[in-house]
Amino acid sequence: MNKKLLMSLLLLVCLSLTACGGNHGTSSSKGGDQLVIAADQDPVGLDPQTVPAASSSRIYSLIYNSLTKINSNFEIEPSLASSWKVSDGGKTITFNLQKGIKFQNGKEFTSDDVKYTFNRILDPKVGAIAKSYFTSIKDIQTPDKNTVVFHLNNPDSAFITNTSSVYTSIISKDVKNLNKEAVGTGPYKLSKIVNGQYVLLKENTDYKLEDKPKIKSIKFNIMKDDEQRLAAIRAGKVDIATLNSDSASLLSKSKNIKIKKYQSMEYSYLGINNDKKPFNNIKVRQALSYVIDRNEIIDTVWKGKAELTGPISPAQKEFAADVKSFPSYTQNLSKAKELLKEAGYPNGFSTVIQTASTYPDMVDTAQVLQQQLKKIGINAKIEQLEWGKYIEVWKSKKMDLMIGRNTSGSDPDRSLRFFFATDGSANVWNYSDNKFDKLVQSALQTTDSNARKNFYQEAQELLVNQDAANLFLASPINYYAVNDRVSHFTPSAAGEAYALLNATLK
Amino acid sequence: MGKYILKRLFSLIPIIIGISIIVFLIIHLVPGDPASIILGNNATPEAIKALNAKLGLDKPLIVQYFDWVVHLIQGNFGTSVQTDQSVLPTLINKFLVTFQLTLLSVLIGWIIAIPLGILSAVKANSVVDFILRIISMLGISIPNFAIGTLLLLILSVYFGWYPPIDYVNFWDDPISALKIFILPAITMGIVLSAGIMRMTRTSFIETLNKDFIRTARAKGNPEGTVIVGHGLRNSMIPIITIGGMQIGYLLGGAVIVEQLFSIPGIGQYILNGIYHRDFPVVQGGVLFISLIFVFVNLIVDIIYCWIDPRIKY
Repeated sequence: MNKKLLMSLLLLVCLSLTACGGNHGTSSSKGGDQLVIAADQDPVGLDPQTVPAASSSRIYSLIYNSLTKINSNFEIEPSLASSWKVSDGGKTITFNLQKGIKFQNGKEFTSDDVKYTFNRILDPKVGAIAKSYFTSIKDIQTPDKNTVVFHLNNPDSAFITNTSSVYTSIISKDVKNLNKEAVGTGPYKLSKIVNGQYVLLKENTDYKLEDKPKIKSIKFNIMKDDEQRLAAIRAGKVDIATLNSDSASLLSKSKNIKIKKYQSMEYSYLGINNDKKPFNNIKVRQALSYVIDRNEIIDTVWKGKAELTGPISPAQKEFAADVKSFPSYTQNLSKAKELLKEAGYPNGFSTVIQTASTYPDMVDTAQVLQQQLKKIGINAKIEQLEWGKYIEVWKSKKMDLMIGRNTSGSDPDRSLRFFFATDGSANVWNYSDNKFDKLVQSALQTTDSNARKNFYQEAQELLVNQDAANLFLASPINYYAVNDRVSHFTPSAAGEAYALLNATLK
Repeated sequence: MGKYILKRLFSLIPIIIGISIIVFLIIHLVPGDPASIILGNNATPEAIKALNAKLGLDKPLIVQYFDWVVHLIQGNFGTSVQTDQSVLPTLINKFLVTFQLTLLSVLIGWIIAIPLGILSAVKANSVVDFILRIISMLGISIPNFAIGTLLLLILSVYFGWYPPIDYVNFWDDPISALKIFILPAITMGIVLSAGIMRMTRTSFIETLNKDFIRTARAKGNPEGTVIVGHGLRNSMIPIITIGGMQIGYLLGGAVIVEQLFSIPGIGQYILNGIYHRDFPVVQGGVLFISLIFVFVNLIVDIIYCWIDPRIKY
C-alpha cells in the first residue's frame, strides 16, 4: 500500500513538471479587460488621510477624488470642484462642486462631505497627514449643497494646490472605518483585498467626471522581490511593474516590453543635526557640503540614473533652484579643509551616520559619503537601523548625521516650510533661521506668483548655500516596465493614478 | 505508548509558558512602537498617543502580558493591528499553505536524496560517490534564494514561463497549485536533499557493515532485496531524525522562498508582523510555530517505534 501511495505521489510530481513545460511561449497575460500591476508591497490600510505609505496611496488614489487634481505639467485641474474663486485678498476661497456625483455606496456627494473631510483632517486626534497643509483655515461654510467656502486667517498661496493632494481625498461622512471600507467617488471601486496576494479594483460604472477610466479592472499583485517582478513582466504575467534601474536596463532589449521613466519627486539627503556639536557650527556644515561629491553619489549609487537636487525636486521645474550653479555643489577640498580649520577642527572629528537597512540605496549612499568625509579627516561610523528603529531615531531629533529620503510634495511650501521652518512638522534637524521662516511665510501669503517664485528662490539659496542645513544629494529617475498590450500609459510625477486613467489595453 | 504521549503533552506546559514570556518580552523591548510605524513620519504625538491607547499599549507591560495570556487561554490570539483580522484563523490558514509547500519540498528532497544517498553508499569511494558528494556539498552551500532566483530568471528568459500569479489551494485547483508550488518546492527540495543525502550515505555505509546484512547476503538474497529490504529500514532512524528537524524548520515558514515566490505562508506573515510591530501577530505566530515544532518532534519519536519495533518508551 505504501508503494502505491509513493508511486501516485511521484506521478503527481511528474505531471506537474510536464505541466510547467507545456505553456511557455505565451506572451500576454490574462487578456481581456484586466490590467495586472506587480506591486512591491501590501497596502497597509486604506485611509487616505492617515496612511501615507506609497503601497496604500497608489490604490486609494484610484478610489477617491480630491477637490482638484494636478496634471503632468503641475497645473491644477478641476476634479470634484468644478471651479473656484479666490477673494478678499486671498483670505476667502470658494469652491463650486460638481453636481450629481455619488459615492460608491449610493449616497450623494455634497458640500457637507467636504466640510466633514476637512474637519477630520484638522482634528488633532486623527493625526491626518495633511493637517499641516491647512493651518490657515479659520472656518468652513456650506451655503448650499454645491458650494464650500473656506475662510482663512491669512492668504495662503499653496491652498488650492494642496487640495489636489491624495491625502485630502474627499470621504463620505457616513463611512466610519476608513482602513477597512474604501468608499469614494473615484473611478474605481475596491472589489477584493487578499492580504499578501492581491488587491482587485473594478471600474465604477457610475463615474461621471471627465477622467473616466478606459480599463475595466486593475489588479495589483504583490511581488516583493525585484527579481520576481522582473521575471513576471518578462513572461508576460503582469502588464506593468516598477523596477530599479538595473532591472530596467536588463529589459531594454526585450520584445513586447517598453521601459518608461520619469523624474521622481523624491530626493535623498544627508540630514544634519543643527543643534549638536560640532554641527551647530555653520562652518562645519558648509565644510561637509564642500567635501562631498554629489556626482559621485549619482554615478555609483544610482548608476547615473538620478539628477542633482535641492530641497525641491528637479521634477518641479518651476520652483526648483538651479543647484548646479551653487558653489557648494562642486567639490572643493581646500575650501572644505579651510572651513573646518576655522571652525576649530583642523584634524577633523569622529561622528556617526545612521541609515535604514531596508533601502540598499541609502546604505550605499552612506558608504560613499563615509569615504568622501575621510578626505578632511572626518571619521564617520555607519549604523544600519531597522525601519522601526530608524523612524524612532529620526523623530528623536538627537542624531548626528542621517541618510534619508523625502518626497518634496507638489507645492514648494511643503518642500520648504514643512521640512525646514522652525515650527515645521518634519523639521527634526533643529534647524532654525528667522530669515528663512520669514521668506517661506511671505511666499505663502503672497498672491503674486512671480514674487512667490523669488521668495522660494531666496529661501533655497539660504538653506543650501548659506546654512547648509541638510545636504541634498540626488533625485532618482523612476522606472516602469510596461507590456506592449498597454498603450497611453505615461508615468510622471503627477502620480501613477493619473497615468493609469489615461491608459488603454489592446 | 499512550502514557508516554500523555507525559510529553504535559511537559509542553512549562515550555509554552517559557516561550510566551520570551516572545512577549522580545517583541515589546524592540525599539519602535506600532502606532508610530502605522502613522509614519508625519504623525503628531497626539495621534500616536491616541492609537496606542486604542491598542492597549499604554498599560504596564505586566498587565499587557496577563491580558494576552488570559485571552490565549480562551483561545483568542487577538486581532492584527495592521489588518484588523483575527490572528488565529489567519495563522491556521497561512500554516496550511506552508504545510503544503513543506510536504512537496520534503517529497522532492527525499526522492532525490535517498536513492542517490544509497547509490553513494553502495558505490562508496568510487567516482560516482565522489561526484555525488561534491553535488551534495554544493547543495548545502548554495543559499536557497540564489537557487530560487536562478530558476525564476532562467525559466522566464529562455522559456517565457512564470508560475500562475494568483495563489490557489491544492484542493481548489490541484494543477494550478502544483504549478505555483513546484518552483519553491524544487528550490527547497534541492537544499534539503543535500543534507539527507549525506546522512543516508553515512547511515547506510554503517548498516551495510553489520552482521545481519552479511547473513542476508549469505542466505542468497538478491542484492536489491538486501539493500532495500534489510539495509534501508535499518538505516532510517538517523535519516528520519534529520528529516523531522527539517520539516520542523520548514513548517516555521521559509521566509525568503515564500517571499520570492509570493507564497502566502506563515513565515511571510510573521515577518511582516515584525516589520510593522504587529504585536499580536508576532506573539501568536511564534507561539504557534513553537508548538508545531514540538509536535513534529513528538511525531518523529513515535515514528521511531514504527520503523524500529525494538525502540520502546
